[in-house]
Amino acid sequence: MSQARKRRPIGQTLRIVGGVMVSIIFLFPVYWMVLTSFKQQVDIFTSPPTFWFEPTIAAYAEYMTRADILPRLINTVVVATLSALFSIIVGTMAGYALARIQIRGAATFGALILLSRGVPPIALAVPMFLVARNLGLTDQHITLILAYSTFLVPYVMWLMRSFFLSLPRELEESAMIDGCSRYGAFFKIILPISLPGLLSTLIFSMILAWEELLFALVLTNRNASTIPVAIAGIAGDTVNGANWAALTAVGTITVVPVVIFALLVQKWLIKGLADGATKG
Amino acid sequence: MTATDMTGLAGRGERRRGRLKDLITRWSFMAPSIVLMILLLAYPIFYTIEISLTRFDIATFSAGAWVGLDNYREVMADYRFWDSLWVTLIYLVIALPLQVALGFGIAFLINAEWAGRGFIRALFIIPMVVAPVVAGGIWRMMLDPLWGIVNHWLGFIGIGPLDWFGDPALAMATIIIIDTWRWTPFIVLIATAALLALPKDVFEAAKIDGANWWSTLWSVAIPLLVPVIAATFVIRWLGAVKMFDIVLASTYGGPGKATNVINLFIYEEAFRSLRFAESAAMAVIVLVLTMVLTALFLRGTRALEDRY
Repeated sequence: MSQARKRRPIGQTLRIVGGVMVSIIFLFPVYWMVLTSFKQQVDIFTSPPTFWFEPTIAAYAEYMTRADILPRLINTVVVATLSALFSIIVGTMAGYALARIQIRGAATFGALILLSRGVPPIALAVPMFLVARNLGLTDQHITLILAYSTFLVPYVMWLMRSFFLSLPRELEESAMIDGCSRYGAFFKIILPISLPGLLSTLIFSMILAWEELLFALVLTNRNASTIPVAIAGIAGDTVNGANWAALTAVGTITVVPVVIFALLVQKWLIKGLADGATKG
Repeated sequence: MTATDMTGLAGRGERRRGRLKDLITRWSFMAPSIVLMILLLAYPIFYTIEISLTRFDIATFSAGAWVGLDNYREVMADYRFWDSLWVTLIYLVIALPLQVALGFGIAFLINAEWAGRGFIRALFIIPMVVAPVVAGGIWRMMLDPLWGIVNHWLGFIGIGPLDWFGDPALAMATIIIIDTWRWTPFIVLIATAALLALPKDVFEAAKIDGANWWSTLWSVAIPLLVPVIAATFVIRWLGAVKMFDIVLASTYGGPGKATNVINLFIYEEAFRSLRFAESAAMAVIVLVLTMVLTALFLRGTRALEDRY
């Protein structure tokens, strides 16, 4: 790489320029969404589309106070947090078992769970809806939390398994020789040094739950409904025409917290991604 | 019986108890997830299969009389099901290779060594965490034939105005563009890590041997990257077969049924038309197809890994 720079500075410059241009293209839609969310109705529908206008928070003031937005935002926070926490507890223990504890049949189970990532959610949504309906569990937070664990637990399990495999085996061996129980070794030695991996997995799980649409559409209607359902409703609202103010304001509220979160832990996030793709 | 025998027996019992305790401890790590997955993953799948083999009873909202394979026959004779599978196939065949190729290409660009490299790489996280349903919504706005900014820009180079949501081929292009925008950054991030992990000395050697840029790429870089490319492809495949949110928020399957991917079709059949038995049959068919293809891809990945 460094040789190329010395010999072909033009190629290197072209790469940098190309890289910057591509990232601008990829960021533009998000920028445009945020920009549009601060426009007045007259500035949204202009030809040509305008970049300069007097900003207003009217769209936020209007839609954030509406009865179908704020409760859904709270629901999304609650469901995403609880389902991620729940899945990380269950999934991390299973991941540890797969990585470190010899149990007969565990490998088969691990392979089955890996394969379960290929199960189309629609094949689960139909029976879940019917069972939840017959048990009177539709439109409850707990239903969504459990439904989300069907994809979060396998995800956590697999990521944490590869994380635990990367730790030196001597850690818990010496702890157990020193008289630590298996639980002790796991909770006192392994978990503390796994915090970076746990944190990035937790955040990733929260993001996955945060943006989930299908289960939320099927299993909730008012009480436990989440923000992606609201956005799907706004985007697909053909009766009132394109409500871009609502779409961009609610969209920005949905996206910005996640972006901030993701950028805060970007180093671990990227590492988790790369590990998830190459290990296992 | 002597005293030593007595202690020996007690020791054996204790050891057995210890072994049992150890076994329970071992399984306690695995048990919660096994119970959970049986209840929430295996049971629903079996229930879907049961529904698909019965006539659905709308009164009790559960599986009714056994009808054997009737639902499957009906679904297989339904041209809309085949159309929807076809649409899904076109989307997959175009979008997956496009995204993998673009992802690795962009990763090569942004891996150029300069001060802003880390910053640019971090920026690629942003589209990746935009909820797909929001992505669908924003692009629906940007591609709007009348007010959208994309058509406005295309006008500068003499293209358009394009009716992105009215023309079947363009609508398919629309969902592929949105999907590619949303998912390529994910591949870029994996690919940047993979490219950085490439051994430098091999490239030095190729250079010394007088290999040009093109043959270095094809004979050195790509073979080294094959395992990662294959793994990325499989991960992306697992996500792409779930395609739903983006279509729902942008084209809603239209115009006509031109972008009616299978998940949206089954969703509509189940929850709009309340044809649960037929939907269950379709879900089972899709489940089997996905599983078979996933297993094939995983096996292919392993074979490729062994070869390179």
